[in-house]
Parts: sequence; structure tokens; C-alpha cells
Amino acid sequence: MTQFLLRRLLNMIPLILGITFISFLAMSLVPGDFLSNLKMNPTITPEVIKQLQAQFGLDQPLMVRYAKWLWGVLHLNFGISLSYRVSVTSLIESRAVNTIILSASSMLFSWAIAIPIGIIVAVNQNSVWDRVLSFLAFFGMSVPSFFLAFLMMYLALKTGWFPIGGTFSVDYATLDPMSKIADRINHLILPVFVLGISGTAGLMRLMRSQILEIKNSEFVRTARAKGLSERVVIYKHVLRNALNPFITMAGYSLGDLLGGAALVEAVMNLQGLGLLLLDAVRSLDIYLVMGSVLMGTVLLLIGNLLADIALVAVDPRVDYSSVAAE
Amino acid sequence: MRIRLGLIYLSAAVAAALVAGCRVNRPAADHAKQQILYRATPSDPRTFNPILITDATSSTLTGDLLESLIRVNPITLLPEAGLAEKWEIAPDNKTITFHLRHDVKWFDGQPVTSHDVQFTLNVIYDPKVPNSFQPILLIDHKPIVSETPDDYTIVMHLPKPFAPLLYSIGIPAIPAHILEPIWKAGNFNHAWGIDTPPDKLIGNGPFHMTRYVQSQVVQYERNNDYWMKDEHGGQLPRLHGQAYSVVQDRNAEYLRYLSGQIDVYGPRPEEVLDLQQKAERKELDITVREIGVDTGTLFFTFNRNPRHYVKNGVTNPKLNWFTDLKFAQAMAHMVDKKSIISLVYHGLAVPAVADISPENKIFHNPDLKDYDYDPKLAADLLEGAGYHLSKPGVRTDPKGNRLEFDLTTNTGTPDRDQMCAIFKQDLEKLGIKVNYRPLEFTTLVDRIDSSFDWDCLLMGFTGGPEPNDGANFYRSSGNLHLWNPFQPTPATPWEAEIDTLLDQGASEMNMAKRPPYYWKIQQILHDQLPIIETVRQKRFASWKNSIENYQPKVWGLYKPEWIQFKAD
Repeated sequence: MTQFLLRRLLNMIPLILGITFISFLAMSLVPGDFLSNLKMNPTITPEVIKQLQAQFGLDQPLMVRYAKWLWGVLHLNFGISLSYRVSVTSLIESRAVNTIILSASSMLFSWAIAIPIGIIVAVNQNSVWDRVLSFLAFFGMSVPSFFLAFLMMYLALKTGWFPIGGTFSVDYATLDPMSKIADRINHLILPVFVLGISGTAGLMRLMRSQILEIKNSEFVRTARAKGLSERVVIYKHVLRNALNPFITMAGYSLGDLLGGAALVEAVMNLQGLGLLLLDAVRSLDIYLVMGSVLMGTVLLLIGNLLADIALVAVDPRVDYSSVAAE
Repeated sequence: MRIRLGLIYLSAAVAAALVAGCRVNRPAADHAKQQILYRATPSDPRTFNPILITDATSSTLTGDLLESLIRVNPITLLPEAGLAEKWEIAPDNKTITFHLRHDVKWFDGQPVTSHDVQFTLNVIYDPKVPNSFQPILLIDHKPIVSETPDDYTIVMHLPKPFAPLLYSIGIPAIPAHILEPIWKAGNFNHAWGIDTPPDKLIGNGPFHMTRYVQSQVVQYERNNDYWMKDEHGGQLPRLHGQAYSVVQDRNAEYLRYLSGQIDVYGPRPEEVLDLQQKAERKELDITVREIGVDTGTLFFTFNRNPRHYVKNGVTNPKLNWFTDLKFAQAMAHMVDKKSIISLVYHGLAVPAVADISPENKIFHNPDLKDYDYDPKLAADLLEGAGYHLSKPGVRTDPKGNRLEFDLTTNTGTPDRDQMCAIFKQDLEKLGIKVNYRPLEFTTLVDRIDSSFDWDCLLMGFTGGPEPNDGANFYRSSGNLHLWNPFQPTPATPWEAEIDTLLDQGASEMNMAKRPPYYWKIQQILHDQLPIIETVRQKRFASWKNSIENYQPKVWGLYKPEWIQFKAD
């Protein structure tokens, strides 16, 4: 196991180098650079652009810039965002907390709904419940999340039950501590619902098909033949065996935690990383993009590793010592 | 397992109870009682350093922190007193003496003196501090030399008479006692970044910043020591505070206005009608008012750059079409402004004729005659110049080349998309093939600026009160002289004439004698058609009726210090 871990960790180094280099290359090959946005400003002359290029180091060759960036990263200096002129770390830090709270809650939300429903539906295959819930699942899957976000914002406007977007109220700083927490939760409900509901459908379908597959396997028949009650069969035997893909998925979603909700963030005005990254890519704010890419990569790799380790714990059939010996 | 599932539901129930049980204890947000004006801004500030700002949001958000040397009146567009109470121009037209107010203080109690203004100029001219004030304050590449005979007088010596100075000198003065040591240490480029604690931003304007939370809110409180007083000697500004919520999405901003979370709003054309109806039906107690038209310009332009079209001694026929005045006239008659206004802008726009907006009452040329939409006339013009239909739907030039070109603009602007689609359809009726290819803004800029690889472009510029600020666009050597930038010597007589007129207009110190030079420039652009004007959107403003003295103009708020909420 130790050997396996060591190999996996060593493997990460070339992976991280490769991914960051390709991203850096892609960002540099796009025509124009961060300063292109300023070039159409009539009061900014080419001389000022040149001075800014020198200040940001954009006039140096690609390899030199990459090497400098990498050297900085080794010293935990992720560079300066070109558009905000502050360190990339401080920008990402301030939003990462919000994004993690939001993503983690919506993940919990969708798992808490999807898994029980998946079980119910699978156990009662082809019943009315199965049909209705499957239909709802597909419906949830096919409604784009930004559209759902708009609907929810409209709901908030019409009913006044929820705040219209934002992460907290304008007067947040003046509230007492309990109200602060309540204010945060109040602002979280709609985004968590919107983000959670689109993940629910996929998870539910996965759970259903997993259980259906295992329900018909031979060890389940054996368990039934032993005279175990249906409840014990489902919960103790089928469910445990159905969980493996979910652990892998949990690992992957660690990387997703920080990205993928840019559209919903824009509509619901949540200051998360997705929108920051999207803006950074569009304005070619290269160091900000690189900082996010690096963080995403590391989280994804670590998530995968954790998932693999968790699999050993859950499933005795998984054994990495043989893999490591190859 | 049943127990565990039970646990999940139990915790869900607890969570739900928490959510339901937690109530936010707050006094009802009463903007009027608090005298705090709530607004929205589309993005985060990039910096709080007024010298380094290059984007509109940052300048809006720092605008109330610092008083500028002189201001521009948003109604008359004439320079008026700011930090400088009055100023005199010496008879040689090269020396301007500014007399500063004696009663202006920095937030930390220090007086604002001529040394602060001089320090600001020194920073602006520092080559290690790239900034957008530098180009407009360099006169023939030479800086203004300033001296400070006493604490409240600053004398500026110009290398030559330069009238636009009175507009470009509207610079915000920055505090020398705070920033000079930082500048001397070489750290000015990192001073007053967005990570600066707001109480460290020492300004002298009507409001000081109290809080900034990234992507959420910027809050201000009134500066009780502000120098301005109203006609009864009352302290200005009247508002006790301001708050800007950062709302990136326009629809979300609209919803916030509808729900009353923000107090003022600049509606888009499609929202104007909706708001007017809501106001009429008394659903919302608001005012919706048309405040004027766009101050900028939005135009089609054809590439006339030989560096792109002449390769290895072979001239691309497109260069011949695009420099042919008859072709340009035909194109001008093919811009269907009426359809653009009704289809793209819901009727809330006006045809644009002159390059300088009619909102610029001083420099706009009102005497130009618009090119009417007339496909028949356009076809005649093309026929007359030898561009014939070789077969139905295919028009060729005198040498037999098919008329076909690329049309581009930046992506992500639905109104420009639709305008290009309308133009393309109309041209296809004349047998001209148009390939519409919108490009990401940075890519487009690269083509305009470096590779010159484009044929026809729909492009817009913002406008200011001083036309000389657009010199990089008008001048043949300018980088924004889109159709043929960076010319070593003017390619055509009319471009040479524009260059001369610009010099003359800038060196005429008598304000009354300046406009004719710029009228002539607009006339030349209108006749020679390097740019084909399209339309100008109407601008609207909407605000809650509980606000008094709110006077939005297209150039900015008029007397913003007087804004207040009505007392109950």
C-alpha cells in the first residue's frame, strides 16, 4: 500500500507539469493578450501599452515566462493577477470559501435526495413510483441550471421568501452572529437547490442501475436462498456492493467543487471561483487562470487518490499491492 | 442501514427546522430613513489607485473619494471650478495659473495644497507608472512644467498653446503626504490596490469608503468635512452614505431594482416599456426618463490598409473597392437605420449622422445630411463605377472579381450581431456576398492592431466632451485610425487635412473659435466615408420617487451633492 501511494504521488509530478504547461501554452497562443482590452481605449497610447507590457513581463518569450511562473509556484508565489493587480492567492482565497460551502452543500443535497430515491425506485422497479420519479429525474437533468436559476430568482422576487441573489445582505456586517449565520443560510437555499437538482437526476439513475444490476447477481440469489429478509438483502448486500462507483465519483467531484457553476454564479450573483475563472480566461489574465488550473488539477488528483484509498476500505476485493508489484 | 437512513432524514429535518427557525434580526432596510443610496455596479473594481485606473467601474467607484482639479459641467460641458476655485490663462496662451480652494482637507485633516497637485503631475509623467492620463497630458511628447509659488497656487507652463488641457487637467489630486514616500520607494504601482483597507484610502471628496467585500458590495459614508455647502450654508453632500452592490448579470440587476433593493437604474431598451407601464399602473413608485442619446459612436468601417492587401507586389482587389468613394457611398446608402432602430433597439434609438454625438453640444456638427437608405441609388452608384451584375445575385468589379468580403465585430453583443445580420442581408440583395464572422474581443483587437486582417468591421467608441481625446482615432499616424493606422505620412489629402485641423483645433485657446475645426473634421469623415455611422441608442434613467434632486444626464449626474431622500 505504501509503495502504491508513493508511486501515485510521484506520478502526479509529470501530470501537473504537463497540464500546467499545456494550459500556459494555450493561453499564450490565443491572439492578443491581456492588454488587448486597453488597446481600443483612445486615451491609451501604444507607448503606455509597451510600458505596461514590460511591467507585467508580457514582452518576454513564452518559455521564460513559464519557467518564471513555475519557479514562483515552487516558492508558493502564484503571481499577480493582471486585471486586479493583487496576488492570485488572495483573489482565489476570498472566493474559494464561498464556492466550497456552496458546492459541498449542493453535493450533500443531491446525494441526500438521489440515493434514497434511487433505492426506492430500484427496489420497486417498473412500479408507478419508478415511472414518476424517473420522469422527474430526466426532467431535472434536461432543464439547464441557469434557466432554473432565473426561475428561482423570479420566484424570489414574486414571493419575497428568499433574497434575490448574492451571498449575503448588504448590511451583513451590522448583524448579530446568529443573524449572520441565518442570513448566509437564507442566501444559500436557492443556489443549493438549483445546483443540487441538476446533479440529483444523474445520481439517481446511477444508483438505480447499480442496484438493478446487483440485485440479479448470484450472491444475492444465495443470500435470498439462505432465507434472509428482503430488507437485509437490499441494505446489507446489494447496497454495499453498489457503492463503489459513488466513491470514485466523490473523488472526481473534489476537483469539480471549485469550477463548474459559472453560469449560475452569474445569474444568482454569487461570488465564486467559476465566474472569476471565466472572466480571467476571457480577459486573458494568464496568472489568475494558471492559479485556478493548478488548484483544480491538484484537487482532482488528490480526490482520485483519496477515492482509491477509500475503495480499499469499503471493498475487500480491491487490492493495490498486486498492482504495485507489476 | 435503516437507522442510518433514518439519521439522514433526521438531520435533514433538523436542517430544515434551522432554516425555518433562523430569522435574520434586522431593522427593516429603510434607505430613505438612513439616507443611503443603493446602486449596482456591473463588476468589481480593479484598483482604487486613481492614477492607475483604466476601466469605467474603478473610476465610478473611486470618483466620490477624490475631488478633481477642475470639473466638467454635465449640462453645459464647460469646465468649472473643482479643487481649483479659478484659473487664468496668460496672454502668451502657454501659462495657466490655478488658484486652489483654501478650505479643502484630506480625510486625515491635512490641508490639500498645490504640492499635492504637483506631486500628482509628477507621478503621471513617471515612465515607471504606466497610466492613461499621461498620453493626454503630454503635449507634443513634452510634459507640462509646473511651479508652486505658494501653497494654494500652481502655475503650469505648456510647451505650446493647448486648449484640450482644460478638459484633460480634470485629474484627481492624490495626497502627497501619504503616497510620495511610497512612490519614491518605487512601489506606486502596487499602492492602493483593491486589497487596501478602505480607511487607508485618504481622499478629499464628498464620501469616504468604509467597506469593500469582493464581488458583493462597496460602501461609503459622507465626508462631514467636505468643502461644498448648499445655498443655505448646509453641509453637502446630503446623503449620509452610498452602497454599490456588485451585480454582474444585467437581468439580476433589473430584478433588484424591481424589488427595491437598489434605488436607481439605467434600463435597457427592452426594459423601458416594462418600467413605464409599472410606473403608470402604480405598481412601482418610480420615475422613468429619457436623458438623451449615446455619447459615443457606432460605425461600419472598411479596411484601407495596403499593408494587409498588397502582398509581394500583388494588390488584392478589395483594396480598390474599399478606397473607391463610389463604393463607400453605395455602402452608406445600404445601412437601413430605420430597421435597425425598430428591430434591434425597439424604436429607442436615433440615426447617427456625425461622428461626434449631438450630446456634445459644443463640438457636434448639426449640418450634415444623412445618407438615406436607398438600395436603388446604391445599385446605380455601383453600376456607374463599373460594378455590374454578371449574373443574377452576383456582382463583380470592373476586372471581373466577385464582390465578397468578411464582416466582423466582437462576440457577446447581441445588438451588433443583429445589425450585422441586417447589413449582410441588404448587401446580398445587391449581389454582394458578405461572410459574417464575429470574433472574441481580444482576437479582434489583435487583428485591428497588429495583423490588420479584416475587411469590414462594426465598431464602437465611447465619446467624451473633448474631441481631441479621440486624436488617436482621427490622426493618420494614430493606432486607432482603424482603416489605416500608424501611417508614416498621410495616405490621402483629406487625411492630411484632418491632421492639420486637429493641430489647429488643439492650439486655439479661445473656446468659441474651436468648434469649427471639429465641424470640418466631421464633415470630411462624412464625405469621404472612412466610417459609416449607424445609430445612437437613447439613454434612459429610472429612480425611486422617494429620491429628490436626482438629475442624471448622459454625461453624468448633475449636482450629485444635492441628492437626498424625501423626509417623511
